[in-house]
Amino acid sequence: MFGEGLLTGMGVTWKHFWGKKETFCYPEEKLPMTERFRGGHLVLDHKKCIACSLCSLACPNQAIKLKIVPDAKKKRHMQSYVHLVGRCLYCNLCVEACNMHALSWDKNYAISSWHKEEMEDELVTAEGLAYFHEVMEKAKAEAEAEAKVAAEKAEAEKTGGDA
Amino acid sequence: MPKTETYTLSMGPQHPSTHGVLQVRLDLDGENILKATPYMGYLHRGIEKLLESRTYIQGVPYTDRLDYVSSMNNNLGYCRAVEELAQIEVPERAEYIRVIVAELNRIASHLVFIGSLANDLGAVTGMIYAFRDREKILDLFDLVCGARMTFHYIRVGGVSADLPPEFAAKCDEFLKIVPEFMQEYEDILTGNEILQHRLHGTSPMTKEQALSHNMTGPNIRAVGIPFDIRKVDGYGLYPKFEFDVPVGENGDNWDRYRVRYQEIYESAKIIRQALDGLPEGDIMAKFPKVLRPPKGEVFSRTEGTRGELGFYIVSDGSTKPYRVHIRRPSFINLQGLDDMCRGMLIGDSVAAFSAIDPLMGEVDC
Repeated sequence: MFGEGLLTGMGVTWKHFWGKKETFCYPEEKLPMTERFRGGHLVLDHKKCIACSLCSLACPNQAIKLKIVPDAKKKRHMQSYVHLVGRCLYCNLCVEACNMHALSWDKNYAISSWHKEEMEDELVTAEGLAYFHEVMEKAKAEAEAEAKVAAEKAEAEKTGGDA
Repeated sequence: MPKTETYTLSMGPQHPSTHGVLQVRLDLDGENILKATPYMGYLHRGIEKLLESRTYIQGVPYTDRLDYVSSMNNNLGYCRAVEELAQIEVPERAEYIRVIVAELNRIASHLVFIGSLANDLGAVTGMIYAFRDREKILDLFDLVCGARMTFHYIRVGGVSADLPPEFAAKCDEFLKIVPEFMQEYEDILTGNEILQHRLHGTSPMTKEQALSHNMTGPNIRAVGIPFDIRKVDGYGLYPKFEFDVPVGENGDNWDRYRVRYQEIYESAKIIRQALDGLPEGDIMAKFPKVLRPPKGEVFSRTEGTRGELGFYIVSDGSTKPYRVHIRRPSFINLQGLDDMCRGMLIGDSVAAFSAIDPLMGEVDC
């Protein structure tokens, strides 16, 4: 009969009208993200990072630009870690490539921005940069001390040889 | 004697009732369609070329972006091709997980089909119901791989992570409600007289026509040819599972709808069997981190949600493929649009387009 199907359909709608709500008010209520959720900004743990640049090599789209500086003892440190959000595929390959587990996602999915310039994300924070300078200074001091010791030793050997 | 002439109507690429950016040029005789010519390429990103400048492993996330509604199936197709090329043996547990997620994705994709078909025919409510249930599958995927689209979960050699402990229970819960929501679609859509009028007898296709256009997937099954690569080739673990291949009779839009509708049940059946038989073990094969498949070429096909998804890869022995070609089912199925539209009314072209269920990401690649 014409109309029977329409009425059955309306019945379903009617049932749901009084039933359990399927939606929630998004900006006021937010769902928790899952444990494996990949999205938002990358977070770098500057104390764990050994500046091996494996993350940057694993990236399929060259979304990670690194500035790695060797210290006085030739150990490498991360001075700047730029995540180009606009290029990122969110494939998680960088996070998986990190053997030190220094990279993670902050899970804050609301990352839209007004300007293209804002789509570059510096992962080395002020704290991270301070840490970078601290280790650089420390390495420099250590290297200088070592050089001094070596020079003194060489001097001693030289004078000892003369005598 | 008044002079009459045909006129051309351009539908799309920004048209409210075409999903995706496709332009269809309709040659009309009054309300009747004489010829429908699809113009595509608005979403071309050159993925085949991109794959050639990435290593085999870096290429997987790009396949997510082909048919972005069923990314798991694309991942699977590409990974199977690379594994065949590099002769990598995938652990059994990974194979089981692959079947589970691929079939869940097939259900999600068919739900999008039902939803968008209803939407294109003017029943927005129908779309909301289908998307509500798709949401449950996306939640499962979020749990498994941390993404709701572009999953990048199936990797070369296995899967990226094991199923989380709560997955089995949640998947079970979902499988239990499948008959419930399917009954709801039956009530709200299938029984609806308007939907029946729009779909019954519109855009019929003969077996010969469908074969001449090389259509695959639900589109060819709707004309009555039980061609399903899961059965024909029996790749992966599919020969182990019991499932039927639903076929249509008349090859009209109604059959295309019913075939996909039935396939949801069949996929649910496969997932149930795979969940019950899930063995313990590794989820990733052991192979060198820098993958260099031997020189040679491979064509590997799988049953994507929209038809035969084939990856043709040529290796020159380096870390990157020399050439990749993707046989995209949406692109090839879309060639049947002209035959389906001829003699129909303008409004039916929307139904025909929707019933083919092409995805522009895959069409333009």
